[in-house]
Amino acid sequence: MAQLFHPYADTALRVALLGIVVSPAFLVAGGYALTRSPYVTGQTLVSPQPVPFSHEHHVGFDGLDCRYCHFGAENSRWAGLPPTEVCMTCHSQLFPHAEVLEPVRESLTKDRPIAWTRVHALPDYVYFDHSIHVAKGVGCTTCHGEVERMPLTRQATPMTMGWCLDCHRNPAPYLRAPDQVFVTAWAPPPDQKQEGLKLMRHYEIDTTHLMDCSVCHR
Amino acid sequence: MPPVIRPPSIRADQLSRRHALQLLAGGAASLATGCSEPDKNSVAQGDRTELPYVHMPEGLLPGVPQHYATALPLAGYGRGVIVTAFEGRPTKVEGNPRHPASLGATDVFAQAEVLSLYDPDRSQAIRAAGEISDWPAFASAFRARLQEHGVDKGGGLRVLTGRIASPTLLEQMAKLQKALPDLRWHVYEPTQGAEGEAARAVYGVALRLRPRLSDADTLIVFDADPLGPGPDQVANGRALADRRRRDRASARLYAAESALTLTGAFADRRITAHPDAIEAMIAALAAELGASIARPQLSSGAGEFLAAAARDLKARPDRALVLVGPSLSPTSRALGLWINDRLDGPVDAFAPDDRAPQAGTIAALADALRGGDVRTLVVLDSNPAATAPGDLGFADLMARASFRVHAGLYFDETAAASTWHAPTPHPLESWSDIASPDGAVSLVQPLIRPLWPSWSAHAILAPMAGEPDQSDYERLRAAWRGRWGTDGFEARWRKALVDGVVEDRAPEPVSRPRATLPNWTVPAPAPGFAVVFAPDPSVFDGRFANNAWLQECPQPFSKAVWGNAIEMAASDAGRLDIREGDEVEIVAEERRLSGPVRLANGLAPGVLRITLGYGRTRAGRIGNGLGINAAILRASASPWITRGAALRRVSGDGRLSPAVAGLYALPGEARKLAPELAPGAALPPPAPKPSFNTPTPTPPGDPYAWAMSIDTDACIGCNACVVACQSENNVPSVGPDQIRMGRDMHWLRIDVYDHGDGQAPRPVFQPVPCMHCETAPCEPVCPVEASVHDHEGLNVQVYNRCVGTRFCESNCPYKVRRFNFFGYADGQEYGDLGDPLVKAVNNPNVSVRARGVMEKCTYCVQRISAARRLAERETRLIAEGEVVTACQGACPTQAIRFGNLADPKSTVSVLRHDPRHYTLLEELHTRPRTTYLARVRNAGPGGSKA
Repeated sequence: MAQLFHPYADTALRVALLGIVVSPAFLVAGGYALTRSPYVTGQTLVSPQPVPFSHEHHVGFDGLDCRYCHFGAENSRWAGLPPTEVCMTCHSQLFPHAEVLEPVRESLTKDRPIAWTRVHALPDYVYFDHSIHVAKGVGCTTCHGEVERMPLTRQATPMTMGWCLDCHRNPAPYLRAPDQVFVTAWAPPPDQKQEGLKLMRHYEIDTTHLMDCSVCHR
Repeated sequence: MPPVIRPPSIRADQLSRRHALQLLAGGAASLATGCSEPDKNSVAQGDRTELPYVHMPEGLLPGVPQHYATALPLAGYGRGVIVTAFEGRPTKVEGNPRHPASLGATDVFAQAEVLSLYDPDRSQAIRAAGEISDWPAFASAFRARLQEHGVDKGGGLRVLTGRIASPTLLEQMAKLQKALPDLRWHVYEPTQGAEGEAARAVYGVALRLRPRLSDADTLIVFDADPLGPGPDQVANGRALADRRRRDRASARLYAAESALTLTGAFADRRITAHPDAIEAMIAALAAELGASIARPQLSSGAGEFLAAAARDLKARPDRALVLVGPSLSPTSRALGLWINDRLDGPVDAFAPDDRAPQAGTIAALADALRGGDVRTLVVLDSNPAATAPGDLGFADLMARASFRVHAGLYFDETAAASTWHAPTPHPLESWSDIASPDGAVSLVQPLIRPLWPSWSAHAILAPMAGEPDQSDYERLRAAWRGRWGTDGFEARWRKALVDGVVEDRAPEPVSRPRATLPNWTVPAPAPGFAVVFAPDPSVFDGRFANNAWLQECPQPFSKAVWGNAIEMAASDAGRLDIREGDEVEIVAEERRLSGPVRLANGLAPGVLRITLGYGRTRAGRIGNGLGINAAILRASASPWITRGAALRRVSGDGRLSPAVAGLYALPGEARKLAPELAPGAALPPPAPKPSFNTPTPTPPGDPYAWAMSIDTDACIGCNACVVACQSENNVPSVGPDQIRMGRDMHWLRIDVYDHGDGQAPRPVFQPVPCMHCETAPCEPVCPVEASVHDHEGLNVQVYNRCVGTRFCESNCPYKVRRFNFFGYADGQEYGDLGDPLVKAVNNPNVSVRARGVMEKCTYCVQRISAARRLAERETRLIAEGEVVTACQGACPTQAIRFGNLADPKSTVSVLRHDPRHYTLLEELHTRPRTTYLARVRNAGPGGSKA
């Protein structure tokens, strides 16, 4: 009787059997990698904006304070986007005829808001609050990255729940002194480990409750 | 999520093979589509557009709510409120502590006003004979008509309004009367009592009498319901509860009533009696106090009750009060005033407001219409076509006037019978002013620009009186400038707006003349049933009929929702062979009303009770076709009682509205669920049971351990907490069909337990939110850890983890968990609640729950979190009183207290050591954080039976 299978059929069977065992692991790992990839988290992606606003120019070169435009950061959940009149405070004098600023001028004359595209968008069930983070020594650039080097704004960090919890579990490596919170060029000092623990005591941060679901979700 | 078509209800005997296969295929298809992509509209996935302001409104910081003081009308009187708005969008009503009719709390109606504001069924356009028109067309037609009347000084022109307590509107009315002297003004308020005439009968002059309930040791109510729904409910509830707290042993409330009311439930001693018997009791009490009238014969129960009441009255006559309800005869009401005068109890008399012109009644208007004296009828903020007493036949009579204008919030029954209709703004959209029942005036300021073009009562009256055309704001300021003068006006105006109540406006009491004893004769008993009417605890007189929160708010005793019924005593039903749910017809003179029967406890034999406000045909998509319209049976001469009614059974199917629960009887052992104590008595401490399980103490170190304490002796069962919770926490309404399946979503319910029997009920209200058990039975059974504890003792539900096994619900001994069988708040809303506009009512600090997840009371975790973030920003601890839960904030009697158990000095900690303190189902060792204080019944000697 002639052979039904070629000799390499054995190999194929072995590979298939191995595949059955290994592929779920790959699938899980692949799924994990996907959820953490910029494709899902939006990290590093640059969205098109009606005006090519440059943080590099305004913060890096002009030295504007974050709070000049994002004035809710210290007192509200939202840091806030500047109303058109804030843009026009300067731009009625500086580059008053620049073509890229046409949408801004149009917004003011027609009393219609500028439709920005959100760069950082947390899901609706996350109740993040800027004010408490700022008050407890979490600097702007810790989450938003080096905006003074962003010609177009991008999301610098993954903003996943795991990433949030890393800091909620142990905030010490990220804490700054109160006067450093809005400093965009801040870098952790060499003794950040001791400094962070000292700041935890200064801000009276108690991490036991920070891991509760109810801190961010309700 | 794709929309899911609701499957028809399946019963095994109706299920065919074909139907089963259909369902199988449908199930498979929904399984396949169930894993669709997330909603493209959610911020995380799709639309990432963000719109900043162009010009920043002054004082607004996005994300930080704003609070404005204003006043909301109920039956024409104002209740001060503070409204929370997010970015100009009002979402929550709270009481105004400075306002005497609020004292920081609200009633159930005020809580639901935000939903009415965003009601898509509100009238949105001017209509001429039902067709959409515009303001210029209306203005020219109206002006032309007024010019005709101007020639004859307003003859043939009539204005019908509800009660008006707005000083500026009254002033406009006076101006109008002066400009058109022959114009007649009529007032009809469906829930108005009959205070005025009785005072005139006893004192000879018109007086406004207001009892000071907080100063009364002994209070006897005869078919009166000071704690019932109405503009005085909050202030009365607070006064009675405060009186009880001061010294429980000397505070005693007697209630003799024909139907069980909230006051009767709150009473220490209550007797069910027919109105005729109650009238006899009043006469007997007057005779006891020295009135020269023949002492009528009383039954033994009534005699005992009255003897005890009279004993207490005589012990401290200056601290005793008698209240007689509007359903009793005018002579009995007058006799009640005479008794109060004799006792010299805590009653204040006020001079009637003489700034306003005298208004006629609706009966006079009906007569004029019938006589053809009315050519033009203007109806402002009133719906007589649905609410006028049935003997007037008002809806048909209206057509006798050739030009009929209606202005109101809805295109309602009266609007449909009018030639012109104009929409009025919601109170949260208007500038006005309004007085509370005790005369304190508030400015009404808008929280939001009118959602649709609308014209207020001020704007409609102004052209009639030939006043200049100006905005309500300018008119109001001009009126107050006239009262205050220009000196320091801006400062006073600003202060009045901020405080929510105008200073120095509360009138002073006046001295009253000696009362004369009214003539009293034994009333001839009428054969047949006596039908008594009451404002509905949910829809009041029908003005809230299109509010889903209120429709789904359970009635205090029957727990019925989405409709009313003919309430009947079980003994009458047995005698006439009528069962609950049967359709019956009541005939009183020419008037007929048929509807379903609901058996009610505490109703006197021979008495039927129907609440007002139902049977609406043009309320809107929520309120249409629910219940029966009791107004049809009312008579204008005695609007609160119709005697001599005949009743017959029509059919066995009366379309009875559903109920969420029942009145629980408490036999034997179950009495510990809602215990009742004598004043000063203490509950026995729980006996320690032998156990190997050493109780785990509350983990030390954490600065907060949240807990709630509910005083069942102060709870009046008004439901304000239920709707406050709904408003604060985005709790959806599910509609009557889902309620029939037992799927109500309220996070806080009020259980009512009866210590008495059906004839003599002794109800105890027990509000039940989540207990936040320290050893919560719901937590270990959750397979996905969606039900977990946080470090401050909250039992939290993580919606994103929940997969909907409902194990937690089955394992919860208190049954406080609620499951979203459908997307009640998220795509499958009831009625028109899915309209995009209605979404504006949602609290942005609380997740809107999706289909298939479990939800429950969170102790208003968003408010705790807000307080914690504020305190941590200032590096301090949350102070006592800084976190106020929604239910606590709404409670008129401060029965609900919330605070930090880790602080031994906090109110909740102190109340844990109260002798009345008890824990619900303590034997289960769930260690609830929500605990109770027992009800006290100060029945007095010999009162334990009643």
